[in-house]
Amino acid sequence: MSVTTSRRLAAVALTALAVSIVDAAPVAAAAAAADNGYVRLAHLSPDTPRVDVYLSSPTGAIGEQRFNGVGYGDVSGYNRLPTGSYAVAMRAAGASPTTDPVITTQVTVAAGRAYTVAGVGRFADLGLRIIEDDLALPPGGKAKVRIIQASVRAPVLGVSTAAGQSIATDVAFATTTPYRVVEPGLWTVNLQPAGGGKPSTLRANCRSGNVYSLIVVDAPDGRLKAELRPDATREGGIPVGGVDTGGGGTAARDGAAPGGKPVAPASSMLAGALLALGLAGVVVATRLRRPRRS
Amino acid sequence: MISRILTAAATLWRDRRRWLLPGVTTLVALAVTGTGWWAATDGPLAGLRQGKPTTWHDTGAAKRVHTSTGDWSAAPDPTRVRIPEIGVDSPLDPLGLDAKGALEVPTNYDHAGWYADGTPPGEQGPAVIVGHVDSQSAPAVFHRLYQLVPGDLIEVARGDRWVRFRVVSAQWYPKAQFPTALVYGPTPDAQLRLITCGGQFDPASRSYLDNLVVFAVES
Repeated sequence: MSVTTSRRLAAVALTALAVSIVDAAPVAAAAAAADNGYVRLAHLSPDTPRVDVYLSSPTGAIGEQRFNGVGYGDVSGYNRLPTGSYAVAMRAAGASPTTDPVITTQVTVAAGRAYTVAGVGRFADLGLRIIEDDLALPPGGKAKVRIIQASVRAPVLGVSTAAGQSIATDVAFATTTPYRVVEPGLWTVNLQPAGGGKPSTLRANCRSGNVYSLIVVDAPDGRLKAELRPDATREGGIPVGGVDTGGGGTAARDGAAPGGKPVAPASSMLAGALLALGLAGVVVATRLRRPRRS
Repeated sequence: MISRILTAAATLWRDRRRWLLPGVTTLVALAVTGTGWWAATDGPLAGLRQGKPTTWHDTGAAKRVHTSTGDWSAAPDPTRVRIPEIGVDSPLDPLGLDAKGALEVPTNYDHAGWYADGTPPGEQGPAVIVGHVDSQSAPAVFHRLYQLVPGDLIEVARGDRWVRFRVVSAQWYPKAQFPTALVYGPTPDAQLRLITCGGQFDPASRSYLDNLVVFAVES
């Protein structure tokens, strides 16, 4: 009887092991491939005082992050985050973390995507807006620019080059334009308030293959201030095609890969091991029945 | 007849604890084996079915948000790459583009090279390091590149400091369908790509048909 029991246990252990490998394999693969996205934070509300911005994960994917004393016109760098949902909260600068936030929002980060979470509008109707940033390579060696309009002094403005080419028209306060593909180069950019008033200019170096946000805010001197912020960058020409990095000396006689290329054999080996375990479980379970028969 | 079938079924069900677990396990194993066989015999694209390539990943540094580390813009050009996990410790030769616009490769099979017109490692953008998988007769500097897994460390020397990267994914691509925008496109942080060859060797062009790209982020 004790032999039977131990055999039964062995059968259970074998099958449990096999099943646990089946269970564990996809989980491990998912963890290994866990994707990231990016979030940056911005204060774009002209009459909202400085704030402390909190970034936290309801699932504990990250510890709570705090950015202290963020003022109008401030834009953080991108934070690399595991995909998932995050809470963004703003409190008056120096306020206790236990007090109710002035404003909160939720941002869902998808793999490979980037977001700007910005406090926008006037303080009276302050909102947290989630702006998706399109960081994909601009086509044909060009650059990409969009306007983030946070000037209340010029509630509607037009953006053009000194040569007269329009980049965006009628851009309203608290809005963001789509990215626009532009020729790379050093541009003089004019910002013209729609209702008249003094235009502002800036020199903007848009480099090939790079992605920018032109952020327009009210400057303390009563003018407009614009900053060209690189969202995603790269350098040099784009190499054409793949890379020729092999002489063939370790290719098998049939021309097959040196090391690793087929991913399938590894999974086949795992499957083979599972099959063996499963069959062993069946064999042991079958043998369990013999003592009872005899 | 029907009652005999029902009786047999009832017996089978009563004894289910004997066969259910091993049986199901075997079926699952057979299914997995079948999938593996299918993938293995599906030609050069087999590896690409493992999932869509992604640019950015968690590197396992849980509970920690990564923004940017040091400012490397004033640092000297990179001179060396170390990958402890696969025993790589190599000088870095500067590379440019050839007459056809393709990325040059190191002339020395035992040296890795970096795309010197591109983003320097540690600065925002996709830095690129390439190395041969083999020479005409022997393994070369990146022969074991395929063994890298997410989380593995890659270090690049700039002056007397080392920029540290962590592997996030490794993907095979046919050279004829090289994902240029994914590999060389702009990024919101400091990233690194390691590139070598693999797959079928085409004796006519004296070239492998696939590229292996390892994606990494500064950590």
